[in-house]
Amino acid sequence: MRFPYGPAALSMLVLSILSGLWLAFHPAKRPQATLVMWTFAKTHYDAYKQAIPTFEAKHPGVKVDLQLVSWQAVTSRLQAAFLSDLDVPDLVEVEISAAGSFFRGPLKDVGFLDLTDRIKQSGLYDRMVKARFAPYTSRGRIFGLPHDVHPVMLAYRRDLFEKLGINPNEIQTWDDFIRIGRKITIPGQRYMLELPDSESSRFDPLLFQRDGGYFDPQGNCIMDNEIAVQTMLFYVPLVAGPNRIASDLGGGQIFTKAVEDGYFLCMIAPDWRSKTIEVDVPKMRGKMALMPLPAVYPGGRRTSTWGGTMIGITKHCKKPDLAWELALHLYLNKEDLAQRFRDTNILPALKEAWNHPAYNEPRPYWSNQPLGKLYAELAPHVPFQYTSPFIATAKAKMSEALVSCVQYYKTYGDKGFEAFVRKRLKQSADEVRRLMRRNPY
Amino acid sequence: MSTRQPDIVITTPPVARTSRWFVLQYRMAPYLFVSPFLILFLTFGAYPILKSLLLSFYATNGPKSAVFVGLQNFTFLLSDPDFHTAVWNTAVFAFWSVFLQLPLSLGLALLLNSVWVKGREILRLAFFSPNLLGQVFVGVLFSVLFIPQYGLVNRFLHAIVGIPLDTKWLANPNLVMPALVLTSLWMYVGFNMIYFLAALQAVDKDLYEAAIVDGANAWHQFWAVTLPGIKPVAVFVLVMSTIGSFQLFELPWIMLNNSSGPDQAGLTIVMYLYQTGFVTGDLGYASAVGWTLALGVLVISLLQMRVTGAWKGGTD
Amino acid sequence: MRLLYRILRLLVNLFLLAFAVLTLTPMVWLVAATLKSPDDLFHYTFFAPRLSTYNFRDLFSTVPFHRYMINSIFVATTMVVIQLFFSSLAGFALAQYDFRGKKPIMILMLSTMMLPGQVMMAPLYELLYRLHLVDSYAGLIVPGAVSVFGIFLFRQSILQVTDELLHAARIDGCSEFRIYWDIVMPVSRPMIGAFCLISFMGTWNSFLWPQIILHNTDRFTLPIALNQLVGLYQQQYGTLMAGTFLSVLPVIILFMLLQKEFIAGLTAGAVKG
Repeated sequence: MRFPYGPAALSMLVLSILSGLWLAFHPAKRPQATLVMWTFAKTHYDAYKQAIPTFEAKHPGVKVDLQLVSWQAVTSRLQAAFLSDLDVPDLVEVEISAAGSFFRGPLKDVGFLDLTDRIKQSGLYDRMVKARFAPYTSRGRIFGLPHDVHPVMLAYRRDLFEKLGINPNEIQTWDDFIRIGRKITIPGQRYMLELPDSESSRFDPLLFQRDGGYFDPQGNCIMDNEIAVQTMLFYVPLVAGPNRIASDLGGGQIFTKAVEDGYFLCMIAPDWRSKTIEVDVPKMRGKMALMPLPAVYPGGRRTSTWGGTMIGITKHCKKPDLAWELALHLYLNKEDLAQRFRDTNILPALKEAWNHPAYNEPRPYWSNQPLGKLYAELAPHVPFQYTSPFIATAKAKMSEALVSCVQYYKTYGDKGFEAFVRKRLKQSADEVRRLMRRNPY
Repeated sequence: MSTRQPDIVITTPPVARTSRWFVLQYRMAPYLFVSPFLILFLTFGAYPILKSLLLSFYATNGPKSAVFVGLQNFTFLLSDPDFHTAVWNTAVFAFWSVFLQLPLSLGLALLLNSVWVKGREILRLAFFSPNLLGQVFVGVLFSVLFIPQYGLVNRFLHAIVGIPLDTKWLANPNLVMPALVLTSLWMYVGFNMIYFLAALQAVDKDLYEAAIVDGANAWHQFWAVTLPGIKPVAVFVLVMSTIGSFQLFELPWIMLNNSSGPDQAGLTIVMYLYQTGFVTGDLGYASAVGWTLALGVLVISLLQMRVTGAWKGGTD
Repeated sequence: MRLLYRILRLLVNLFLLAFAVLTLTPMVWLVAATLKSPDDLFHYTFFAPRLSTYNFRDLFSTVPFHRYMINSIFVATTMVVIQLFFSSLAGFALAQYDFRGKKPIMILMLSTMMLPGQVMMAPLYELLYRLHLVDSYAGLIVPGAVSVFGIFLFRQSILQVTDELLHAARIDGCSEFRIYWDIVMPVSRPMIGAFCLISFMGTWNSFLWPQIILHNTDRFTLPIALNQLVGLYQQQYGTLMAGTFLSVLPVIILFMLLQKEFIAGLTAGAVKG
């Protein structure tokens, strides 16, 4: 019998067989490892790749399979894995605003192992920065070990500051900052600060700086309280209207070019981002420096927090004790942490680790400032943030509110702005509360 | 659709050879030939459709557990502001797809069909080519073309109409929809044009000659001959592109970096279904959204066929 | 009058040419972007004076891109072959035979064609979960193994085959399957070519279903792999563009080979229908 479908279909058939054969000889990896761990950050992935061999050497026969999963996909993939019982990893690193969504439903249905007793008994609760347990706690139970503190500073173009005659020591409060910012901003060409007007990733740190937040410790939605209103009234005129001093363009190569061009002079920079800046804008070596965040009022808090990661052990894990040891190995080993700090600039949540000399080393990129010491000094002041299964929704709703407020301010200016902000924030918060009431589980 | 339908069902082959096996294989042939289709279709098509109708009355936590909630999924859905946003965005997108894209496609097809045009084949290929790229790939490409300050779109539009270089198409809620419409214009104008062009080429040339004899000018010819001639295709394209628009998902999802965009400006119905249903594991809610979408699409397509007079009822 | 005519003619041609250039520009930019080093990417609008293969090297060294490519090829071509066989067989039966149940089948098919596929996604996922097909190639291929659209396409074209031809074959003692295989299919070649491309493109570009079904990155097809790449290496536009370029290349090559049949097939149903 000859093949009746013609050359096109025949070539498809041949391709199908050939690719099928190739795949048969290269089957998808079934995790052979004792422990499977997911992380979503490339920097963490590279660091753990170095730390895992010593763990494996300590435990003969144990094999750890570390996988890098994209930041956008990790939540949905983990959720799907929990729901279908397929490919559930043993340990996962979860991003701070995603963590809450896994604490939905009765405690016994949470996919993560309750680590409260292990953390309290090992004394870790006091040895790590307390504020950092809050985002991973639900109904008093702790489901994750904090990876970091992520204090926030302000990164700035030191060379341009000098050229323009700005003395960073004169900037103590946001009022100082805005006054100087208005002088040097040239619309469309140069801005004082990098801040987006379309999403709330940098609104959050400014909200936390004022002790605001999304949820209170009992899990009630507080994203429309007075602090949030005041933060919004402060934020929007920075990025919109005639007196704006902030703008943003985007990440990666656009960011590189914008910093090189001096499109904005300052960036909100938690420790992890100081590394991103080093990597993305290598040409600015020696021209950048860090200063504490301006305070809301004189003598007020000079920092905040942005981002974060926890490590959790899933209930699916067959060897929770071994997994716990791996978590401790990755998060507590002082020498490893010091090396990791050199590689990633990330200050670990373990307080006693900070007295290692690595944190005092001057950094040529940052005009020889001792980067670790600067962040560590601010770390004890990092504000608390509480979570809820609805944290991701709440953050999305805050972004929406921010965008609406920016639109309003662009159109109407100050007229009726405060009333609008109050109304709009309440609307967002009410939508979150409505969703919370619906939850059938 | 044209058909030949003899009234009697023939059970013996119209041939001299009538061995038992030959008769049997003749009689059984059509059943055998449709059975693989039918089995797969009933399992993976008809069953899920019916099941989803049932599932839409349950709240579920993944495939493992379900709680009967009656009409609660639908009542919550219909009063959810996010769903309203999704419907609104999708409808706006569909509106532009129909009223911007189709006239443009038809215009291009008319020009391309004129006797003056040189290199028709090449042009047709050029116009059609963007459709070869899937929505995901187009999404990745255009998310880069639309970046502020250094992106191609901004440089081009800055040069010709002077829009600000730092226009943030995908971060400004007012510009997300225009960006999506522009992108889909790029993707689909040529695709729909192919249909119009084929229809135009199939219009009987004698009719034009008769119209010219009657003294009709080009405008009259278009209304009296061209439009009636391409009407069946036009209705087909209209219905298909409306249905397609209502299923919009990949393009905004990729362009907006796996999100619904600033102020949900890029939230579509299918995206809403995916986010509320699959990401949280509420398959029941996903089914409810799916059926709401299906009913909406059905009503709109039937309306379109009614209004254009293409629906006469019956299937064959 | 003649002059006016000429000017008009020139204008129409110029307009169409400009429109074609505008349409092709993003693709030219894409090709240019893949060949620029990261430093040059935003410095030159299109091609840089110094071409670089950096993006392609970076792409293959950061992710197993060849594996995604092979996954996509396997899933798409297997789907085409299976769909082709089942759809043409059913299309043949519906075009050339009269049998009990034909009308209900036609009505069933037509009515599901109007339903958006998202309706059945949730229960289909549940079904595949129970069949243990979640996170497998089969989970992608089996639910889409028959294409209702394909059946209509083939039915339309097989209706053109004359009865005399089939009669003659039966007198020669051909079995019905033989008729399908040796007579009907060879004369339906143009439609097969069109169907191959349409079906290939459909699977190749499909995103939502693979995104729901696949868990293991080793099984990812190009659209979801590329989406994951956007998340992991967001900042590396050149690398992303290289991935995009390689992902669309197979479809473009296939189209070049099959374009005549494709356009005929695409419009056949609509114009005749």
